[in-house]
Amino acid sequence: MQLFFGDLIPHAPELLAGLGISILITLAAVLIGSPLGVGVYLLRASRLPVLRAIGAAYVEVIRNTPLLLQLYLIYFALPSVGVNFDPITAGILALSVNNSAYLAEIYRAGFEAIPRGQIEAADALGLSRRTTFFHVRLVPALRNVLPSLTNQVILLFLASSIASIVAVPELMHVMMGITTSTFRTIETFVVGGLLYFLVAFLIAGASRLLETRGIRWKVA
Amino acid sequence: MFTSFDLPDLLLILQGAFVTLQICLLAVLLGGVVGVLSGILAASPFAPLRWISAIWVGAIRGVPVLLIIFFVYFALPLMSPGSNVPDYWAAVIALTIFASAYISEIVRGSIQALPRGQFEAAQALGLSWPQQLRFVVMPQAARIMVPPGIGFLVVLIKDSSLVAVIGLIELTRAGNIVASQTGQPILAYLVVGAVYFVICFALSVAGRRYERRLTIHARPPRVEDALTLSRGDSK
Repeated sequence: MQLFFGDLIPHAPELLAGLGISILITLAAVLIGSPLGVGVYLLRASRLPVLRAIGAAYVEVIRNTPLLLQLYLIYFALPSVGVNFDPITAGILALSVNNSAYLAEIYRAGFEAIPRGQIEAADALGLSRRTTFFHVRLVPALRNVLPSLTNQVILLFLASSIASIVAVPELMHVMMGITTSTFRTIETFVVGGLLYFLVAFLIAGASRLLETRGIRWKVA
Repeated sequence: MFTSFDLPDLLLILQGAFVTLQICLLAVLLGGVVGVLSGILAASPFAPLRWISAIWVGAIRGVPVLLIIFFVYFALPLMSPGSNVPDYWAAVIALTIFASAYISEIVRGSIQALPRGQFEAAQALGLSWPQQLRFVVMPQAARIMVPPGIGFLVVLIKDSSLVAVIGLIELTRAGNIVASQTGQPILAYLVVGAVYFVICFALSVAGRRYERRLTIHARPPRVEDALTLSRGDSK
């Protein structure tokens, strides 16, 4: 068996463009999923049992069914009731919804780790509810769970490859195209795999840097 | 041209669920063997053994599952020309590779979660590394592994849906077929989703229960425990 990595050089721009789209849809899903996840957490933590049940059901249903099935529902099933999405929108939507359920659980762990005394102290100081929520609860909660959050971003980035199944032109889709046009299957998978690995590795490294350098004060 | 969603469609979906459970079980058993070995290497006192495990685990956890599936299905046969791997076994091999890396991490984490004193005591007794594992470390680590192990099983069952793209008729692909035969994709996918949910949610709940039992036993008993236990699982 001989390998010809040189044959892939003309396809380098395609691969990098695909990687760009992978990163872009991941970023979009982070930007949409993060506030959505806070919303879902707030439902789960609500005083009204109905809202709590809705939040819990959302989290459990999303987390106990495959992302691929969620994507199929959005891309293949919704058109039957007249709702049409192009592949990229469908991919970002599925990733965002999926991401939000996992984020809601991570936020919950973060919020629950905040000592009651801090919130009571904020009350005693006369801080408004909004200020208390953002500065005493939300930001410290996020700092508490930063490692879980970046881990979730890595998982999301790897999961974005699933969008290739509905023909989103991201890295995995580009790789499949190159294997059919060049027949350099093994080489393409090795190079594509390295690209995925590299980005995942960089996210993990950035996260570690953020943990050691960026955050100097700890909560409780 | 479409047939209505009927009993045969439901049966096809249930058959698909059976295939999903089969390949996941095989992958956990085979991946478990590799994963436990790799996890023990990762927690061993010998640096070169730790590196071998770290490279295996890092390489697999750094790429998408879909890539592993495509690699096994399209690239592996090229490495040994003439070989013909059926879809079923390509799926099992891919999921085994995937499972081995994650199980390795769970085993390593569980071993390292044990108090240092356990290792020191075992060493002081003059036990060799294999003896320490056999008599001191693994019996205790095995219990810690169960909750994350069940958590991973849920991940594996969900990710096994990806083998639908290489043509194996498991749960998700059965849903595709029913969707196109009946022209009722929403109904088909909701039924498939419900089957995944029942399997995964039951596992998740079981895992959480075991974890709670584990933490209750792990700390000294308190009066409150007796009270909360008598009230059942109302948390």
